[in-house]
Amino acid sequence: MEWLDNYWSTYNTLVYSIGVHALLALSIWLTLACGLLSLANAAFMGIGAYVSALLSLQAGWPFAAVLAAAGVVPALVALIIGIPTLRLSGVYLAMATLAFGEVVRIIVLNLEITGGPEGLNGIPQSTQGWHILAILAFTIYGLARLRRSRVGRAFESIREDDVAASLMGIDVARHKLFAFVLGATIAGVAGGLNAHFTFFISPREYGFENAVDILTMAILGGIGSLVGPMRGATILTLLPELLRFLHEFRGVFNGIVLVLVVLFLPKGLWEPRRIKALFARGGRA
Amino acid sequence: MLSQQLLNALTLGSVYALFALGFTLVFGVLAVINLSHGAVFMVGSYAALFLVTRFEMPLWLALLAAMAVSGMLGLLIDVLILKPLRARNAPHLIPMIATIGVAITLSSSAQGIFGAEILRFPEGTIPAGEFIIGDVHVRAIEIGIVGIAFTLMAVLFLAIRRTQLGRALRAIAESPKAASLLGINVEGLFHGTSFVAAALGGAAGVLIGLDFNAITPLMGQPILHKGIAVIILGGMGDIRGALIAGMFLGFAEVMSKAYLSSQLGDAVAFGLLFLILLVRPSGMFGRVLERKA
Amino acid sequence: MSFPRKTLFLAAAAMLAGGALAADIKIGVAEALSGGAAQYGVAIRNGFQVAADEINAKGGVNGNKIQLVIEDEQGKKEEAINVFKKLIFQDKVLMIFGPTLSNSMFAAGPVANGAKIVAFGTSNTAGGITDIGPYIFRNSVMESDVLPVTVATAVKHYGIKKVAVIYGNDDAFTKSGYDVFKKVLADQKLAVTSTETYVKGDVDFKAQLTKIKAGEPDAVVCSCLAEEAANIMLQSRSLGIKAPFIGGNGFNSPKLFEISRLAGEGTFVGSPWSNVNPAPVNVNFVNAYKQKYNADPNQFAAQAYDALHIAAMALKSVKLSGNLEAARQALRDALPKVSISGATGPFKFRPAVTKDGKPGGFDADQTPFIYIVQGGKFTLYTGKK
Repeated sequence: MEWLDNYWSTYNTLVYSIGVHALLALSIWLTLACGLLSLANAAFMGIGAYVSALLSLQAGWPFAAVLAAAGVVPALVALIIGIPTLRLSGVYLAMATLAFGEVVRIIVLNLEITGGPEGLNGIPQSTQGWHILAILAFTIYGLARLRRSRVGRAFESIREDDVAASLMGIDVARHKLFAFVLGATIAGVAGGLNAHFTFFISPREYGFENAVDILTMAILGGIGSLVGPMRGATILTLLPELLRFLHEFRGVFNGIVLVLVVLFLPKGLWEPRRIKALFARGGRA
Repeated sequence: MLSQQLLNALTLGSVYALFALGFTLVFGVLAVINLSHGAVFMVGSYAALFLVTRFEMPLWLALLAAMAVSGMLGLLIDVLILKPLRARNAPHLIPMIATIGVAITLSSSAQGIFGAEILRFPEGTIPAGEFIIGDVHVRAIEIGIVGIAFTLMAVLFLAIRRTQLGRALRAIAESPKAASLLGINVEGLFHGTSFVAAALGGAAGVLIGLDFNAITPLMGQPILHKGIAVIILGGMGDIRGALIAGMFLGFAEVMSKAYLSSQLGDAVAFGLLFLILLVRPSGMFGRVLERKA
Repeated sequence: MSFPRKTLFLAAAAMLAGGALAADIKIGVAEALSGGAAQYGVAIRNGFQVAADEINAKGGVNGNKIQLVIEDEQGKKEEAINVFKKLIFQDKVLMIFGPTLSNSMFAAGPVANGAKIVAFGTSNTAGGITDIGPYIFRNSVMESDVLPVTVATAVKHYGIKKVAVIYGNDDAFTKSGYDVFKKVLADQKLAVTSTETYVKGDVDFKAQLTKIKAGEPDAVVCSCLAEEAANIMLQSRSLGIKAPFIGGNGFNSPKLFEISRLAGEGTFVGSPWSNVNPAPVNVNFVNAYKQKYNADPNQFAAQAYDALHIAAMALKSVKLSGNLEAARQALRDALPKVSISGATGPFKFRPAVTKDGKPGGFDADQTPFIYIVQGGKFTLYTGKK
């Protein structure tokens, strides 16, 4: 048992990270499901993290209220910037959200209350494993229900062709905004959870690289199902640990894996048929 | 002070434009946001540094060799990665993510091979000449960068506007399918464009590495972000737009540092990008190349 | 098909070796060996390696060899936590050196403190690090101990009345250095003509420097890392700024003059370490480092080198029974009493004064040397013009 205890003590942060990354991957899945490529999720995560950390540190709010605020504030921000931004499509939306993310990072960097580049430290360790598990389960349940609902079908038709969708009487703008705001909420809560088990947050955790990481998780795992983003989050969180022996060249491997998945699992890891075919072919050869 | 700041803005703007040149070219022709352009830029810088320090190659030769190296790299990326994705008709997001993978691979390799520390060209690689006109100080390399940025821009612009090749490229930009029906070797031109764009990126890497005295594995990152802003402000795929937007961004950044606060430098770039996207999604000038098929 | 057998053989050899080295003292080293902070992390690891080689060549500590368990924390906070936990719970090290960045220490330090094992930072200069708890140590000198002396010396030497300030505002190290400078300048009643910032990765400082030039300061105060500082110096000179520089801890690297050459003449720097400090231990360290890595050491390597010697000194009085927790605690209790004269000069610990009055860790208690740059070299400042 001692061995198991040690094992858990060593790797619990890693397991927590997988949970938080899964939430983030699901948050971007939501916008992708609606055909939107938004790179603002790292920024929303950051807003959630800062809001929650400040409420814990300075106002002494209870953790449940802190987490709620971590979801609500990014949602409000998403509502405000979403209305003008979501008129853009494709790469333009991606770039606008990227720019928004950078602006958020620079603002956090230059504020007094956020501690500037030195960030905030001494954040209480309130996050428990079951918090993450419960929130993740709730999110998956909610998203699964959503997918099968009218809203979910509307998302799908918007993703396929938004002109056709609007001709069918779907309020495209409103649905897009809903996906964007809900995605921001999930990302914000993930940020709040993360801040409360890593003791410390700083602006550099919520920049462009992190936005790309989140996107990569979703794409790698596959956006065709809800399991996909979680699979991607798990793989990308564990990969650096498993590749530890590669030392300096670990990043090389990481990059190559990304390229290979995009090339040889055309729709990422999210097309079970294709994977089966791949393995079947490999088996016969 | 103003005249010096204007000059500072001109050189910074040229740096941005120089970088954005290849970046926007690839977008215009291949319709791909090639996020490995920053890494290719870095590779050009290291290639020239290696040749200059190890083989004591003269700079002009090293510059040409570095362009060849990064050009080949660009070609390789196109043949090995972008081509299969094109063949499969992958949505525009997919090649972009693949190029992120390429960028990670390249910058980690550079770090593994050359180490993480900042390297630089040996002293005397470039003439240390300096001109002082009144209150304004100019270094030779700065004149070089401004000159080269404008020259390359003009050459590329004219090539695309005036030559048979340029017409073919513009046809592809309109619609690759229609172009291939017209008997244009679309794949060949895609490869060629990738080579030229990457070579330009490599050249930018060498010149900027020389000017700023700093070559690092991650040097492509910050400039890539600015490059994104530039090609969007200028209109994606628009060569002339890249020059104007590069200059505009350089001026906006320098002037906000000079007359507002230096903390605003990057906020101005991205804030502007954000606002302009909202008001004019197709960039400040002209229209976007809209793919028809 | 000899591959599996070879592997088996290697595994057996490793097991045997493990058995033979049972008396090794396992010390964890968690540094950023890849990513943006690798330029410091690698130097730090090298410094530890030089010290470990030296100690082991002399027979180790009380006959026990020191074994460094080196892990890459990538300069990321989650990684730092993961690596700390791996070192504490899996590798069962006696203490941990690192992590490289203050940010990572804020995240990983509480883990070590909670597990009652020493976390010893050699490069964390941010305020509040030792507030984390009584198991947190550092031998990196805080800017607040160095800069007042540096500024006062420079002011006296040049008769400075007004200064301009430039610093990196997205980096915890340079920003906290700036905060100290700001306070010192106010305390010493120096006028500030303008305060400029840049961000990591910036290589073009001309817009800021042009503005600084217009204010005609008597000196430029610069809270920057060496490589940035060197480019700032070069660009200032090419813009015609003649004022001397006053630098923080980040200036302490041979890189500064490799790059800036003579552009940094007259710069004042305060430092716990300099490559030209003639003390025999330092000369010895510099030579050993050069021999092993074929490169000049920097301050980060020197502080790591000293840190391992400090730990070795404390270990002399620690009884290594089989009880890991007791040994960790004994090491923790022995450390504060250590005082050595290392590559960075005479060193002892000082209990940290925490914000909330709780018992904190231990900071470095060292007198800085003040250097002036002459002929592209750090020269110990003696007060004579």
